[in-house]
Amino acid sequence: MKHAGRGIACMWYPIGFTVAANPSSAVVKVNEDGTATLLTGTVEVGQGSLTVLGQIVAQELGISAEDVHVISADTDVTPMDTGAIASRTTFVTGNAVRLAAAEAKSILLEVAAEMLGVEVRELEAANHQIRVKTFPEKRISLADVAMGAQIARGRPPLGSASFNPPTVAMDPETGQGKPFAAYVYATQITDVEVDDETGEVEVLHVYAAHDSGTAINPALVEGQVEGGIAMGIGMALSEEILFNPEGRQINPNLTNYLIPTSLDMPPIDIDIIESYDPVGPFGAKGVGEPTLVPTAPAILNAIYDAVGVRITDLPATAEKILMAIRKKERSNVKGLEPGEGDT
Amino acid sequence: MHQVEMMVNGQVRRAEVPAETTLLSVLRETWGLTGSKLGCDVGDCGACTVLVDGLSVNACLLLAVQVDGQEVLTIEGMGGFDYLHPIQAAFERLSSIQCGFCAPGIVISAKALIDKNPHPTEQEIREALAGNLCRCTGYTKIIEGIAEACRAPAITDGISVTESGHV
Repeated sequence: MKHAGRGIACMWYPIGFTVAANPSSAVVKVNEDGTATLLTGTVEVGQGSLTVLGQIVAQELGISAEDVHVISADTDVTPMDTGAIASRTTFVTGNAVRLAAAEAKSILLEVAAEMLGVEVRELEAANHQIRVKTFPEKRISLADVAMGAQIARGRPPLGSASFNPPTVAMDPETGQGKPFAAYVYATQITDVEVDDETGEVEVLHVYAAHDSGTAINPALVEGQVEGGIAMGIGMALSEEILFNPEGRQINPNLTNYLIPTSLDMPPIDIDIIESYDPVGPFGAKGVGEPTLVPTAPAILNAIYDAVGVRITDLPATAEKILMAIRKKERSNVKGLEPGEGDT
Repeated sequence: MHQVEMMVNGQVRRAEVPAETTLLSVLRETWGLTGSKLGCDVGDCGACTVLVDGLSVNACLLLAVQVDGQEVLTIEGMGGFDYLHPIQAAFERLSSIQCGFCAPGIVISAKALIDKNPHPTEQEIREALAGNLCRCTGYTKIIEGIAEACRAPAITDGISVTESGHV
């Protein structure tokens, strides 16, 4: 017989890492046609970070993301980056990129102030132009400013910057400090069905609410959450590296190391909870790794809700769940209180 | 050595290969069509999926000599910079793909489905993709992309979208 259950799990997760320094650097140059070029050492592996970094440059300079050429991960020309790791790229590399773009923009604003005969503080960069904030009709195209900066003023609009997250070392006496600059939070709810005759679990639905700061690119945030949930379902129910006594992996391929297929994935409802981080670029934090953190505990809680067995050893395979159900039934026959026979 | 000849993406290709050469190997190594990916090489992951006479198959499991005289469609025949197949266009619009390693096989599996069934249900899409593993996306936006592609005029009007991606 199949039993329905619902489980919930919450998590927090630190963005970037601590103890060692964690810097990223970037170079932004504004070209004479009003486009920009970004040099960054970070690596795109499909998560879309280069798209996000290009959007950050575009936002800072007031141009469109299509006009930002991103050159990445080429050690001949790009600055060192600590890595596409620790869910840090948007937060740490994004800040370096934003600061580099801001430095290039400050040159453009100074040149534009001379060209327009106004004070720098009166100007803003928006819509491919430098314009007077209170009188936007008074404006000059970013391309003309960049050309003027290069040709007439001899001040090419370049910016380079580094960012190392602000942390406070932990006090060895009290354990107090600020080991990370930012934290993200999430809650996931899973609905499952557990077959008490086979131990098989079907995940019917996942609801995921994630705070990642400002979602610079919501579609990419969703993509990270969906992918993380798939990994979390695998972690909860099927993925396990098995070794023989000699230490050789006995399931080294996808026939017996089982990752979720399209048939194992439930519908996912995502709620992106926007918040504004004061340190992050335009308020953004990060989203990569934390997405799978609550999935397995939410599924295990749902299994407990469905059939009353507490699995504490991942993955919760059908065999383990069935053994736990049998053990619980035997305990019940002996007159134990519910829960005492749980694994 | 064996002579093989097949129509690949509308073009006749010939090769002389040892009997044990897989279709995937001759596509990638002899003809340089590296869009079909070598993932697991044992038929689990589906990254090498191609169409042989309209049927989706794992190119790593078929020998080249088994495909002699047949028609093969690989991802290279599905569209390019100047024209995207509706499936590819939908994937681009919805950010369906992340690392992209599974994508050539997924696009081919989706085409095999849509060619037979232009208006699949979500469950039919999931079943059609069951042989294509994806580690990044959770399949969510891929499934949405295929459903959206099925609403594209080229598909809903029943026009056959064939080799080289041209309607």
